[in-house]
Amino acid sequence: MVNTFLFLAYSVVWVIFVVYAWTLSRRHARLRKELEDLKARVSKPSKP
Amino acid sequence: MKKIFPPAVHLAVLAVWLIVALYLIFLYAPREATMGEVQRIFYIHFSSACTALLAYFFVFLGSMGYLWKRSRRADDFAYASAEVGFIFCSAVLVTGPLWAKPAWGIWWTWDARLTSTFILWLLYIAYLMLRSYVINPGRVEVLAAVVGVIGFVDAVIDYMAIRWWRTQHPQPVLGGGSGSGLDPRMWLTVFVTWGAFLCLFFYLVRQRMAMAEARRELAELRRELAA
Repeated sequence: MVNTFLFLAYSVVWVIFVVYAWTLSRRHARLRKELEDLKARVSKPSKP
Repeated sequence: MKKIFPPAVHLAVLAVWLIVALYLIFLYAPREATMGEVQRIFYIHFSSACTALLAYFFVFLGSMGYLWKRSRRADDFAYASAEVGFIFCSAVLVTGPLWAKPAWGIWWTWDARLTSTFILWLLYIAYLMLRSYVINPGRVEVLAAVVGVIGFVDAVIDYMAIRWWRTQHPQPVLGGGSGSGLDPRMWLTVFVTWGAFLCLFFYLVRQRMAMAEARRELAELRRELAA
């Protein structure tokens, strides 16, 4: 029973860290993509 | 910072450090005599708690920096520290009860240390909620900085609670005076684990700050396009 607590504590903490790191990297990647798209639109010469 | 210690190198160092910490926790540190295996929760509980407290100190420093110099970088640092600090504070509130139940026989008690940690967690939420409700973009940074500075009082109370009052929570292990020591192998494990958690904290903070910078650049480009 005691080892269940140990297992739960470590599992939950790693899940918290991994999920946060993953959402952070996804948010960052989305922003970077949006930024690149916008930069491409700005630098692209407009058609007459 | 990016040139001296690129994020990829930081991540590699972090991965090695975490593996070493896990090795020390489960294979090197001795089994505690009275609590047994469950005492190994202490290593992540203590490291998360120290990191969450330090994170709030960074929120305080960043907030002071913003209020004093109106420095965007200081504000970004405070915001990033609050978001990552909240994650570490949540880890404290999860590991604490999971250790308390087998050790004390109860999940939770409203003693000074536990209550002030819970309030710290609520303060993190309050700070982050305030940041997300952008009613007046110029004003939200100031309001959040004020919360960051005032909230630091609770971080100090949280740190000092087990020194000022008799609590269910154990007396301090670090800087607690004579008789509060640990086995030298446990000390090494504590410091390596805390170091790994700090490395993780700074990795997440720099990622979060890079995101804030990208968001600002995006807003500027949008303004340019609209003009």
